[in-house]
Amino acid sequence: MAGDRFSRLHTTLARGSHHDNRPDKGIPLPVGVKMLLALTLSCLAFLARTETFLGMVTAANLLVFVLLRPQGVSWWRQGRLFVFQTTVIVVLYILRFGSLAGVRDGLLISWQLFLAFWPTMVFAKTTSQAKIVRAMNRIMPSRMSFVMATCLKFAPHLLEEVRDIYEGQVLRGARILPKDLARPWNWPDLVHCVVVPAVVQGMALAGNIAMAARVRDFGLHSRRTCWPGD
Amino acid sequence: MDVLLQLKNFSYTYSETKAAVLQGINLEIEAGRCYCLTGPTGSGKTTLALAMKGLLEKDGCSGEVVGPDPSDHGDFRVGLVLQNPETQLLATSVGAEVAFGLENLCVEPGRMLARVEAALSLVDLRKPLDYPVARLSMGQKYRLLIAALLVMEPQLLILDEPAAQLDPEGLAAVHDILSDLKGRGVAVVLCEHHPGPFLDLVDRFWQLDGSGRLSAGRWRASLMPSDSTVSKTAGGYSVAPVLLGVRDLAFTGHGDVPVWEEVCFDIRRGQRVVVTGLNGTGKTTLLRVLAGFLKPSRGRVRIFDAEPDPRLLRRRLGCLFQNPQKQIFENTVREELAFPLKRLGWSSREIPSRIEDTLRLCGIEHLVDDSPHKLSYGQKHLVAIASVLAPAPEMLFLDDPFAGLDGARQQDVMEILASWNREREMTLVWTSHDPGEIPSLADGHLHIEGGCIGWR
Repeated sequence: MAGDRFSRLHTTLARGSHHDNRPDKGIPLPVGVKMLLALTLSCLAFLARTETFLGMVTAANLLVFVLLRPQGVSWWRQGRLFVFQTTVIVVLYILRFGSLAGVRDGLLISWQLFLAFWPTMVFAKTTSQAKIVRAMNRIMPSRMSFVMATCLKFAPHLLEEVRDIYEGQVLRGARILPKDLARPWNWPDLVHCVVVPAVVQGMALAGNIAMAARVRDFGLHSRRTCWPGD
Repeated sequence: MDVLLQLKNFSYTYSETKAAVLQGINLEIEAGRCYCLTGPTGSGKTTLALAMKGLLEKDGCSGEVVGPDPSDHGDFRVGLVLQNPETQLLATSVGAEVAFGLENLCVEPGRMLARVEAALSLVDLRKPLDYPVARLSMGQKYRLLIAALLVMEPQLLILDEPAAQLDPEGLAAVHDILSDLKGRGVAVVLCEHHPGPFLDLVDRFWQLDGSGRLSAGRWRASLMPSDSTVSKTAGGYSVAPVLLGVRDLAFTGHGDVPVWEEVCFDIRRGQRVVVTGLNGTGKTTLLRVLAGFLKPSRGRVRIFDAEPDPRLLRRRLGCLFQNPQKQIFENTVREELAFPLKRLGWSSREIPSRIEDTLRLCGIEHLVDDSPHKLSYGQKHLVAIASVLAPAPEMLFLDDPFAGLDGARQQDVMEILASWNREREMTLVWTSHDPGEIPSLADGHLHIEGGCIGWR
């Protein structure tokens, strides 16, 4: 069902915050080190041009995974995403080159893309919001680190808003159900009555969050101290 | 008594409007007293709260806001809880949330723990400091928000419309906290349409009259519609056809916890049913399951003699979820109403008269060429309802349609719904977070409690 998809996405994002409070089971590396490791592995995945190089990046990712032991990774979800992404890329490659020769290149590109995002997922699963803010405070202005952490926190809320708008508009007759969207001439409806109100809601949400932060004296001093818990 | 805050001939105008929202306001707030600011929706209560907190743009202000003498009171702090707790909780764990204000005040990390624990104890929220905020109930979130302000040691605490969000249980807990704070010398200002649960705490009422003027006294909306305005349809419903049938329905939420189960009920054509339950009992989830947006874990729903499917329901079922204004996207009220009519296959010849009729019945025909985005809160609410009513659905689901509206606006909405029900036999199902206040509009009452749903 259409709503189920939103609910699953919302649940996935919401779970991100629940994992904040699971005890770390892997090696307790400093957040800065983990962040740097994730960034390096992602960059290496993009730079890999040969199978051997990609194999080495894969081995490095496996090692990091075993060391950090992230909790709550859904192999089923990750597997499905990979299969979907691979299918799309391989089909596009076959169409582009007109033969099965595109299959190997398509598979490599897909694996490369997967490895580019995997380290970020491992980092997010093994690091709490408070720790990320603390680490970011050292390398960027506290306002910016607050904005980044808040964006992560409110992503599920914004998705709920989008879901409400979507469901309300479906019953108002908007042609935006998955079957409707198979026809490209219905796409303007999606932009017009879901994306536009969602952007307006997103801006209103940003305004409300900013006000909530100012109510608690955010911005009174140029630097902030940090809660030592979590 | 110590005077904590004074507003002297204070006025405020938003940069995008010409008329002043607040005009010549004079007030005094004394330590340890509770004030209740009343007034219709959009009369400027929140603006006045922001003025007391010092959060309004300086350009629009005139007059004086005078705090206490720093030698007597040290740093004067005002705590303000805005309407929606969900958008004010900024951290993921209870401890980090309460500590947010201390971080902003540059309190040494080593001194935070004791202050955070003391603030949580003041609101009687006994949870581990690393407990996820997302797992708290709405009432607990509201108390957490109060703790997050109390940790900054305010001398004045302002709450903006607590009753719009909290169920009776949550309101009772907030009442006890406020009573305790008054005893400790903290001044409290409630901006509230429905001050009922706090009446015994209030020392003084103020009212904003809608033109920005403040005076002493309590603003009251005109009376709720009587049974004469919301007349019952003649005859019993037992003979009307069943439009919505639910058998052995269950829904399982996150973590395989059942939200409710073994739900059975029938709703017949023309019925007006209110679904009540405390915050988090699954009222919105029930509407989403009935409309076919969520799949139940067990059981059967039959709506218009078929399984619920949004594609098939969109001609016969209208739906307004919480805060209906967020569905508004067109440039004029006329276009907003024309959108569903065009999509649902009305002919271009019928559409103008249909829009005219609907706006007239909703009492907002004068707004037809206005931008819906620039209307007041209450008017936007009516436009959103009109746009759902325009295609004349046979059944309408509304999720907490009266939340945040003052008594007069609630009455407007109720009268519109009552007249459509009376004249077109439109079946109404709406939710409410207050089981204690059942409007006369309802002729059926389903209540959710302890995972069960039953008639009352």
